[in-house]
Amino acid sequence: MKLLVLIIFLLTVSVSSAQEKRFEVPVGDSPGYGRANAEVTMIEFIDYQ
Amino acid sequence: MGVGPTVDKLLKDYKGKIRLVVKMNPYKYRDFSHIAAEAVLAARDQGKFWEMHQLLLKKSPKLDRNSLIKYAQEIGLDLNRFIESLDTKKNTNTIERDKQLATSLDLYETPVFFINGRKVTGNRAYEYFKKIIDEEIKNEKR
Repeated sequence: MKLLVLIIFLLTVSVSSAQEKRFEVPVGDSPGYGRANAEVTMIEFIDYQ
Repeated sequence: MGVGPTVDKLLKDYKGKIRLVVKMNPYKYRDFSHIAAEAVLAARDQGKFWEMHQLLLKKSPKLDRNSLIKYAQEIGLDLNRFIESLDTKKNTNTIERDKQLATSLDLYETPVFFINGRKVTGNRAYEYFKKIIDEEIKNEKR
């Protein structure tokens, strides 16, 4: 029973995270830090002041 | 306290797995937002974006023209080129392009992050970013 609950929970979590909205933000020639082919790309919109 | 130290720690802890891309979104009613963006892009043109980026985060909000020139000197930029770039607003097109992108994404505050397209607004805690990044690395491996 516990196993079943765990499986349902994990399925729900994976479905909900897969459904999270993803925005298409072009990298373009913007400056940054780190490898261009890194697994994760974090784009920051910044105001230095 | 800004989000700078959090981002620094993420870049260190996920070295090789994460890259940061910076887009300008200077607020038009703050005195030095635009010139600071010009300064960091002028440094980029001399191959020292990251040095200037970190220095501006450290020195903010002291970002008037004279201070920016001092920072440029500190990181060893060609000062004549740097000052010319600032005073002619050489990178205004890039800044405007970033601002238009921000507007099209309906962004009216800073900072805003997109982690593989997933939006994170404001000065969130390290753990908040970490959770999303861990999920993204896991997804990537699937």
